[in-house]
This record gives sequence, structure tokens and C-alpha cells, in this order.
Amino acid sequence: MDNLEKYINAFVEAFEADKNSVASFKREDTEQWDSIGHMKLMAALEDKFEIEFEPEEMIEFVSYEQGISILKNKGINL
Amino acid sequence: MYLQVDRWSDNIAVIDDSGEKYKYGDIVDFSKCFGKWIPERRLIFILCKNCFATIAAHIACIDNHIVPLMISANMDVELLKGLIDLYKPMYIWCPDESKDKLDSVLCNSEDVAGQYGYLLIKLKNDNCDMYEDLAMLLTTSGTTGSPKLIRHSYFNLYSNAENVANVFGFSEQDRALVDLKLHYTMGLNVACSNLYCGATIILTEHNPSEKEWWNIFREYKPTNMCGVPYSYEILKQMRFFRKDHEELKIIAQGGGKLSDELFGIVAEYAVKYGKRFFATFGTSETTARLAYLNPDKALEKIGSIGKAIPCGEMLLVDEFGNYITDAEAEGELVYRGPNVTLGYAHKREDLAKKDERNGEYFTGDIARRDAEGYYYVQGRKGRFLKVYGYRVGLDECETILKNRYESDFACTGTDERLAIYHTNDVEDIEIRKFMSEKTGIQISAFYSERIDFIPRNENGKINYGELLKRKME
Repeated sequence: MDNLEKYINAFVEAFEADKNSVASFKREDTEQWDSIGHMKLMAALEDKFEIEFEPEEMIEFVSYEQGISILKNKGINL
Repeated sequence: MYLQVDRWSDNIAVIDDSGEKYKYGDIVDFSKCFGKWIPERRLIFILCKNCFATIAAHIACIDNHIVPLMISANMDVELLKGLIDLYKPMYIWCPDESKDKLDSVLCNSEDVAGQYGYLLIKLKNDNCDMYEDLAMLLTTSGTTGSPKLIRHSYFNLYSNAENVANVFGFSEQDRALVDLKLHYTMGLNVACSNLYCGATIILTEHNPSEKEWWNIFREYKPTNMCGVPYSYEILKQMRFFRKDHEELKIIAQGGGKLSDELFGIVAEYAVKYGKRFFATFGTSETTARLAYLNPDKALEKIGSIGKAIPCGEMLLVDEFGNYITDAEAEGELVYRGPNVTLGYAHKREDLAKKDERNGEYFTGDIARRDAEGYYYVQGRKGRFLKVYGYRVGLDECETILKNRYESDFACTGTDERLAIYHTNDVEDIEIRKFMSEKTGIQISAFYSERIDFIPRNENGKINYGELLKRKME
């Protein structure tokens, strides 16, 4: 499984969403992306990429797009 | 005045998400104003948000002998309408932005006043007969709009605020972070027990998974905070316990059981950085709190709810209702104390009922007492769950589902997941979405499965034990 697929799957698992819909996800307007969804997403990504987020990274992680650049800063290219 | 808030006129009482700072004197002034708007002994619904207008109206109500029902401003509008139709309040105090939502369900109402981003609406309902000592109402299961309310007396509210303040030793110097909701017994108790001591409460709608919460935490440097188990799950994921937060002195927990692992993490954190960790226990029926574990014992008695709060007493009874006198024992937890509420209301006429409990409450929780008198909650007899810290009535869930789909449903499950069993052809995902929308709880908290038939006992009652054996997959 490539990195992009892993990334998308984390969203699918955390929000029980369709894999074709997640690319437009933003925390502010995605209903499932509440505190519970956010924790699930963070845990899923840490698990899949074997990384650990800093607190700052977790609170800045507010959209699908934003997440890609946060992962990039951690050396994971999608 | 209620909580004697007029003792500290120049202290800052409340800071909320608007960034405004409100003094105790502002509460005193607001209460006088509120008392002019509304006569004594009227029923009012307060649509709560964690903001100054909510806590000020709460105090003003108690102070002026107006009886509030505290409910979430985010409550589903149809569930809210159900409560309005049943209890027929004369007034509603709601956020300005809820006005449109309310207009769709209210007829014959007029706006009579407004302040702090809230609006006072007067309805064309008659006044109802209420017991003279009835001070406040809370819901038993707010998310499902249950009509079953908890009747609190003035004595309940005073005594729990005072006794809890004494347990924690709050003072004028304290700053309490209150992210638990004010319509939730524990959130209200954290706010009131701090206000009783002249402390500042920081009210927020945000939670620790959000940037805004951290900004508030850094800016105002709270000295005490209280969370439900789910708050602690978030704090752990956010690595809160990796470093010292110097100004924070007290961390408290209530509203359900922490896993032993998480309990240990928090207790160790407290020891390492010289904080006091209070595991507490209570129910809405006991005005929030009835027991606490002394912070010195946290590491030694992991998972314990400790002993009764001052002026209270905990007992165990066996299945026949006899008090168990053995030191070490297991049984249903019974509590006696000044914070035991009056009883329930199921309809408007019940508001006239007097004290039905006389200071004794059977909690429905099964507890164990160790040789040194420390209590541990083992399980629950009652038909409700605490999902992500929300108390959810299972019978109410069944009613909501039956009304929507006109077929049979059985709800059970664990505090991790609420299980819905049904025999109709509706897609499971639709049922889960529907319940998530109705309750405002995330969809992953709901499990749904179609089964051939709903198992029943000989007397026709649903056999929940049988359903609990099924795996949620």
C-alpha cells in the first residue's frame, strides 16, 4: 500500500467516510470531524505511518490538505 | 445571594470564549435585572452554552426563586419542542442565534428582554404549581431529550457547591477551566463550587483537541480543571501528561470510570509534578458529586472512587435491600446526604411534588468496599450508558427509534458503544446516522444490526442479557 492510500484509509476509518469524498474534508465543516473523530484520525495516522505527532501538529491538523504538509514536514511524502 | 457571590464584587468571576472578563459585581447587577423581568416561581428553560449569559442566568434564577431547566442550546429542535409542549415553560432564555430555530416551534411568543448575546422570550403559558423548595431541573439524558427530569432543592445546590469546594480547597486565587457543559451536573458543579470561593471560572465551548482550547489554557493558566474519562483520553493523545503545566494544581475527574491504565497515568503525573489528582464520583441525582478519593491515595487505590464527601455517607445493600455491615463487601451503592435530590419529574404536574427521597438515594451502581473502607464501582444496574461522557438513556433511544421507523428496537451496549438491534429492512448505516443526528454523538458510538427476532423473557420483556452476549462486528 502506498503512502497516499494509507493516508486516505486513515480518514475512511476515522470518519466512516467514502474514500472518494475525503480529499475535500475540513475540520470546520465536516460533521464527523469532531473531537472524537479527530482523536481517531490522529491515532490511525500514528499507527499507519509509525510516527508520533507533536501536540502542535495535532491542533494544526485541520484539513486533509493541511495534513499532507504536516506529514511532509515529518519526512513522509504522499 | 446564592453562593454569596456579592462577597467578591471586584474579583473576576467569568472569562468566556468572547474574551470578555466579567466581575462578580456584574452577576449581582444582572441578577437584580433578571428579577425585574421575571416574577418569582416561574418556570424557565435556559438554553445553555458555556458562556457568561448562561451561568449568570443560572445564578439569577436561584437567587430570585425562578425555576430553570438547564438544557443544551444545541439540542435537536424536535426534542426541544417535545420538552416545551410537555412542561410549558413561561420563559425561555436562549442565545440570539437560537431565535430562528425556536421560532419554528413556538407560536404566540414575544421577546421581552436581552443581554450578553441572549434573549428572553415570554410564552403564552399559564404558571404552574411548583413545590416551594424546587430550585432547578436537569435532564436525565439530555441528548435524547428525555422528559424525565431531576428535581433539585435549594439546599441541594448550596450544600453540594459548599461541600465540594471544601474537598478541593478552592480559593479566591483559583482559576478553573470549565469545558464540561453547564447543563451537565458535573460542569455546573465545577462552576458553582469555584464561584462559591470567589475564584475565576474560564468557560469554553472548546475541548483539548482544538487549538482554541490550548490558546485559552496558555493564556489564562488555569489552576484547576475537571474532566470526564473521555477528556482524559483526549489529553493523553494530545501528550498533555508529558510535561508540567506549572500553574495547574488540581486535576479532577468525574462522570464515569477511567480505565485503570489512564487512572495510573494521571495519578503518576500528579505525583511527579506535585499536583493533586482527585478521582470523584457522583450522579445527577446527587447534585453532581457524592464521593472522592484523597489525592494521597490515588496511586495506592487505583480505580477507587474513595469515600463520601463531607456531610455524606455511603452504604452497600444486598439484593434483598438489606444493609451490608461487613467491612469488605459488594452490593448496590446507596448514598445519604444533603445533596440527594428530591426525585424525578415525568410531566408538568410532577413539579408540585415534594421530597420523595428524604436524603437517601439508591444509585443503581454495583460497588465493592475494601477493608479500609474505600469504594470501587464495578458495574451498573440501570438502563443507561455513559457514551463519551454523555449519559444516554437506552429506553429513550428505543422510543426515538420506534417513533421514527414504526417498528421494534432493542438498545443495549457498553459505555464504548451503544448497540441497536432491529428487525426491519432499514440499512444499519441509516439507523446509525439518524441516532447520531438526534443525539449529537458521533456515529462511531452507535452499532446497529438486523436480527431475526428480538429475544424476550416469558413475561414479554426484552432479554437484554441475551443481546449483550452478541458481538458487535
